[in-house]
Amino acid sequence: MSTDLVQILEGNTFVVSDARGDIEATLTDPTGLFSFDTRFLSRWVLTVNGERLNALSTDDLHYYEARFFLVPGTGTVYIDSKLSVIRRRAVGFGFSEELTILNHDEAPVALEVRLEAGSDFADLFEVKDALKKKGSYTSRVERGDLVLGYRRDTFERGTRISASERAKVDRAGLTFKVRIPAHGSWATELHVTPTFGRLEKVVQELAKGRRAKRAGAMARGLEKWVEKAPRVECDSDVVRRTYDRSLVDLAALRFAPLTLSGQALPAAGLPWFMTMFGRDSIFTSLQALPFAPELAATTLRALGERQGTRLDDFRDEDPGRILHEMRFGEMTAFEERPHSPYYGSVDATPLYVVLLDEYERWTGDTRLVRDLEVEARAALNWIDGYADLQGNGYISYKRRNEETGLENQCWKDSWDSISYRDGTIPGFPRATCELQGYAYDAKMRGARLARLVWKDAAYADALEKQAADLKRRFNRDFWIEDGGYFAIALDADGRQVDALTSNNGHLLWSGIVDRAKAKAVVGHLMGKRLFSGWGVRTMAEGEGRYNPIGYHVGTVWPFDNSFIAWGLRRYGFKEEAARIAEGILAASGFFDGRLPEAFGGYPREMTKYPVQYPTACSPQAWSTGTPLLLLRTMLGLEPIGEHLVVDPALPVGIGHLELLDIPGRWGRIDAFGRGRVQTS
Amino acid sequence: MTVAAKRGRKAVKDPTRSFFDDLVARGHEPLLQNDSGTLRFDLVDGRRVEHWYVSIDEGDIAVSHDDAAADTILRTGRSVFDQIASGRMNALVSVLRGELVPEGDVRLLMAFQRLFPGPPRPRASRRTNVRERSPR
Repeated sequence: MSTDLVQILEGNTFVVSDARGDIEATLTDPTGLFSFDTRFLSRWVLTVNGERLNALSTDDLHYYEARFFLVPGTGTVYIDSKLSVIRRRAVGFGFSEELTILNHDEAPVALEVRLEAGSDFADLFEVKDALKKKGSYTSRVERGDLVLGYRRDTFERGTRISASERAKVDRAGLTFKVRIPAHGSWATELHVTPTFGRLEKVVQELAKGRRAKRAGAMARGLEKWVEKAPRVECDSDVVRRTYDRSLVDLAALRFAPLTLSGQALPAAGLPWFMTMFGRDSIFTSLQALPFAPELAATTLRALGERQGTRLDDFRDEDPGRILHEMRFGEMTAFEERPHSPYYGSVDATPLYVVLLDEYERWTGDTRLVRDLEVEARAALNWIDGYADLQGNGYISYKRRNEETGLENQCWKDSWDSISYRDGTIPGFPRATCELQGYAYDAKMRGARLARLVWKDAAYADALEKQAADLKRRFNRDFWIEDGGYFAIALDADGRQVDALTSNNGHLLWSGIVDRAKAKAVVGHLMGKRLFSGWGVRTMAEGEGRYNPIGYHVGTVWPFDNSFIAWGLRRYGFKEEAARIAEGILAASGFFDGRLPEAFGGYPREMTKYPVQYPTACSPQAWSTGTPLLLLRTMLGLEPIGEHLVVDPALPVGIGHLELLDIPGRWGRIDAFGRGRVQTS
Repeated sequence: MTVAAKRGRKAVKDPTRSFFDDLVARGHEPLLQNDSGTLRFDLVDGRRVEHWYVSIDEGDIAVSHDDAAADTILRTGRSVFDQIASGRMNALVSVLRGELVPEGDVRLLMAFQRLFPGPPRPRASRRTNVRERSPR
């Protein structure tokens, strides 16, 4: 059923309903009104004269707004109704719903219109894992409103439901006695508003300006966002459509942390991951830098504010560590989950420094680099201190929260993603290869910032020395001589975990690969075992665990490929980067311009179309950011000093491409290219 | 509550007072170098309300009991704050739970909460995978 679900959202507030606009939450249909990771409405069912309605059509007008056209009666093939019912719903702080009934008859009608309402106040984690609640519920009528409540100790959440028209309100819903004249209509506006107990005052204060936003203001906001972004002119329909779609999806994925008034960063995915994620927010900000650099600034500030300062085993927190995920629900509040925030990711911290430097290279905003000096230094210190679990000079991970912490703290976070050629899985700690690349890049970039902005040449020298040493050791310890590529990890005994994987591409992106080794690595990335024709597989065909529809063991991830393409450009392999861009953009044509998180690793010539991997979450931020980064790699955009260098290498099929008004330290600049690279 | 938080490090007699004393001793805190403003802590103990003012001026910290205009007001039980001040309760969790109620500038609270100590660590976990040495 979930394919028929309708989702609308604004920030971390979202409504999921069926095609009629009704909400009847069950285990398999996680519908409802959600805000701050809590479900505030789990039942919202409309009847007219005791009858359910039938959906004629549903429009999700914008990501924050939907309209349902309904008629009474269900299940019949032939519908001849004298009534039309229209529900127009918009999300803001809670949601508002305009309910209109049209009488098409020549005679007046008398109707009983009822909305059943209820809430289980489930935490998002409870929705996922079907857990039982520990608090108590209330339901009461207060000044004509229906007020639902939940309480566990001092934790209180509530839902207030009000209507603009007079209603008979009971503890399970609202009933309207309606008379509609011949060819007349009736309408009411319903408001469903979450409440936060003792925190109500501060939440209201913080949410000011969000709640009043009406559909009109939201539409203007979206228009402005699209206008501000660079324009794409291209012979390829697919490129144009994909770009437009990515911009609008990226707008929907914006999440404004309460502490940074009005500024937004990219959340991880819609709707279940509309929260701050270290890794996802950073990768997406990097992809979007040439298009919306302000996302990076907010990401850096918000993650910096929440950087770890203590040792806390439950949260896997260390001083200097950048968070993995932040949540606000009941289970987090009672420490049944560690997301307050949870720090169990090892890549977010070096990537934080990488983003800070890349952001400065594009924008010239040295003020932010100065403001975040303490945070950036703490992140760099973390790499050589707390992250070096084995004292061998490499970042590795092993969770300290063994109950509710994450086992896999790199981006390939499924249980079987890291393996030897024969399919055996190593124990912990694990030092995956891409982490060492990120660490190298963080040190090099940190050195640049230290010299340029923090005016600390000694620190810059030290970082560069450490980076050079790391690179030397890495190229010795991770290089698989008989394979000509880098191991995916070192295990706890320092032994190479030797499966061939896409992680090699991230190493190019970070610059940790010796020039002399790059050609062999690229040969693997573009060879038959890894390259499917659409993109680079997460794991190579022929490895023990290879499975073309295995989450991280054979599927193609668009996000992964966008960084691999960037890596190929870094080492001068322009044509190979163009081939990846061609494959991924061609795939996006099959998904109406919205790239999924992952698709099957089947060879392109076999399936002719990319087979989607089923996931709960779409759009996904870093898939949305992928076409943006591919535009950058195709045009060869690189900020050098005060200038933007353009060095295009485009696949033939794309024809002419223009990217106009690229923002940056140069003001606005245009870039052009024409497809010349033969890809097939 | 975490296992780590349940087991004790040697209990301090008045964790709230020693937390604020420690702030005074710090004088300057680099973590707050971008922040300025005053936090007021209203600590409720039966009918008594104890007021603590923490003023931050680009990282310079001053603590007092003297009435002053506050940008952020935090209200909680004295016993709850004792737990937060000794790392036995996480400040953000206590906000989500409604035990520590903030008002006003929440950004200042976000910046400030970084100064609360972590949970007392049991001896056993020291030898696991955390190296206690501070880097550099």
